Amino acid sequence: MAMIEVVVLLIAPLLAGGLSLIIHRSALLHAINLTSMSLLVASEIMITRTVLTDGPFTTLGQLVYLDALSAFILFIIGAVGLACSLYMRSYMDEQVARGVIAPGRLNMFFFLFHMFLLAMVIATVANSVGVQWVAIEATTLTTTFLIAFWRRRQSLEAGWKYLILCSVGISLALFGVVLTYYSSLHVLGDVSEALNVSQLLPVADRLNPHVLKLAFIFILVGYGTKVGLVPMHSWLPDAYTEAPAPVAAMLAGVLEIVAVYAILRMRMIVDHAVSPAFTGGLLTLLGFASFVTAAFFILIQRNYKRLFAYSSIEHMGIAMIGFGVGGPLGTFGGLLHLLNHAFAKSMAFFAAGNIHRRFHTVEIGQVHGLAIAQPWTAMALMIAGLALSALPPFASFVSEMQIVSALSAEGFPGQRLTNSSGMVTLALSDQFSRLGLTGLFLLCAVLAFSGLLYRITGMVWGTPPEGIVRGETWTLGHLPIIVLAAALVGFSFFLPQSLRQLLEQATQILLLH
Amino acid sequence: MQISSHIGSQLVDLCSALLLLTCFAIVAQRRLSACVDLFALQSAFLVLTAALVAFLTGNHHIYIAAGLTCLIKVIIIPRVLKKVIERLNVKRELVMNVNVPAGLLICGGLVMLAFFITQPILPLGFLLTRDSLAIAFAIVLIGFFTMIARQKAVSQLVGFLVMENGLFLGATAATYGMPLIVELGVFFDVLIAVLIAGIYTNRLQDAFDSVDTSHLTGLKE
Repeated sequence: MAMIEVVVLLIAPLLAGGLSLIIHRSALLHAINLTSMSLLVASEIMITRTVLTDGPFTTLGQLVYLDALSAFILFIIGAVGLACSLYMRSYMDEQVARGVIAPGRLNMFFFLFHMFLLAMVIATVANSVGVQWVAIEATTLTTTFLIAFWRRRQSLEAGWKYLILCSVGISLALFGVVLTYYSSLHVLGDVSEALNVSQLLPVADRLNPHVLKLAFIFILVGYGTKVGLVPMHSWLPDAYTEAPAPVAAMLAGVLEIVAVYAILRMRMIVDHAVSPAFTGGLLTLLGFASFVTAAFFILIQRNYKRLFAYSSIEHMGIAMIGFGVGGPLGTFGGLLHLLNHAFAKSMAFFAAGNIHRRFHTVEIGQVHGLAIAQPWTAMALMIAGLALSALPPFASFVSEMQIVSALSAEGFPGQRLTNSSGMVTLALSDQFSRLGLTGLFLLCAVLAFSGLLYRITGMVWGTPPEGIVRGETWTLGHLPIIVLAAALVGFSFFLPQSLRQLLEQATQILLLH
Repeated sequence: MQISSHIGSQLVDLCSALLLLTCFAIVAQRRLSACVDLFALQSAFLVLTAALVAFLTGNHHIYIAAGLTCLIKVIIIPRVLKKVIERLNVKRELVMNVNVPAGLLICGGLVMLAFFITQPILPLGFLLTRDSLAIAFAIVLIGFFTMIARQKAVSQLVGFLVMENGLFLGATAATYGMPLIVELGVFFDVLIAVLIAGIYTNRLQDAFDSVDTSHLTGLKE
């Protein structure tokens, strides 16, 4: 079923990567990239159709498992990937023209980019939890050189930090995978399919809860490092600042979300054996840690790329709270928030790339009058900033509202189970904690909102410094910015039918206990 | 049968204990090239353990994993690391954030922690390799500690590799090896990671060198 589409999904980046190694002409490299991305998006749409009508399926001899959740993640990979490819057309050419990147190294960039995409696709469609681990580690390996592509001292340092921290984090996740296998061997026997999601899900309630709890903690810490959850986040601001803009957009828009997906996959299995309050509590805890920390760091940032990096941590924290609190509302909100964040953040990094090319600085204090110097970019930055602060006309307002209402209705997961001493105190403390958590959530949202908008308005208004060229010519790189902006506003009023169905089915999958 | 399985289990325990012992030696060792040698030794013990488990259980796919470990972790990776060290010309003693006695003491604590955490899940395991899971976990923790305690790029890499060894021991001991496709993928990833890190240390060195030379010409003019 849908075998050809899956094969295209895997072959397109592989072939494009291989071709990039032997081709050196810039126009051809871009053409290959755009063709491969379009093929990826097309096959993704076909897969979504199949999933929506026929439900989850395995193909390629049990190697691939696809359901609404993985189709949704593939949709994000495809959409943001295509936007990045369009943006790269003008961005990379200018970098080469200015001599920042030697022309001979352009094909290396594209090779790594395609391998990065391939690894993310494999991580999303893999049936085996083990293969998924291998693919996620492969994303680390392919992106280290992309982050350090400028080869400055700072970028090498950022790349090294990323490589070491993520490799170690991911090793911990491997221990979690080993433990999962340890528990599934007793139920499924010593077969090579004992790590497959399609095999694990039906028997998950018979797996050993102690082992699974330990496994989930390891996997959460491991993949949480890739997501950039506090306290495993210290690599993230450096890497996002030093990476070229399209790479930063891919890291923030897609890679984080693939890592979240890996955590959610594992959670689906663990929740069958252990009470969902266990995994939910851990997710909510890490979510709040990330949200609160990032909200304060947003306030003190003087570098606009770091500002967006901390905003990534913040939004991943919010999504985690949504998944942790759970329920139909929280889960749906969490998934929608992932989508909104992917679109808004890639847009923000496109704008950041444009600003950096014009102003040659990442300091917020040295950028003024963007509205005069680069009107299109200024608009993109404003829209991205407003969407990231979750203001009303944007879809992120809807998803954040859903998450906060789920939080105020459900409270911290598992509280009713742990507090069993007397009904009155239970009801009271429950009320207080719900109120407190909701208050904390809103306070941090306000902090992040004011911090972000204060910095962004400072960059947009005013007069540009001396020596900065005024005016902006239209390039292909502006197309994705406009489409993404339209989507961000549009999704809050009207979710396309198939996307809504996809989100609803993915929510159902995550809630099915 | 009873006796032979008992001896087998003792032998596996012995090998795992040797792995743990080399961990302590790595923590105590100050010279970088000696650390790499110790890592190679540890990997050799790992090959021995894996081969022993393969022989005693008759699971032939563990032989493949053992062979790959021998090739990658005993031969290739130590050579790559030696080359990197030679090129970097590191003669000084390692910079450590924690001194050796304190480090050893902490590692002792980590081993106890590992046994404590794995206690509830150990009875699930196979009789032959029951204690090895706890030892594997201890090795992972010590590798983790080594990465934190040391500052030089290469010694952090050694810590990472020690962690990987612990994970591999865990996979072999707890589950008689992961599915082959996963195991191959893991080997591939580790190998690439070390190669990338090797290139990286060179680039770091180059970046510093080039910064120096440009500074010198600037002074002349």
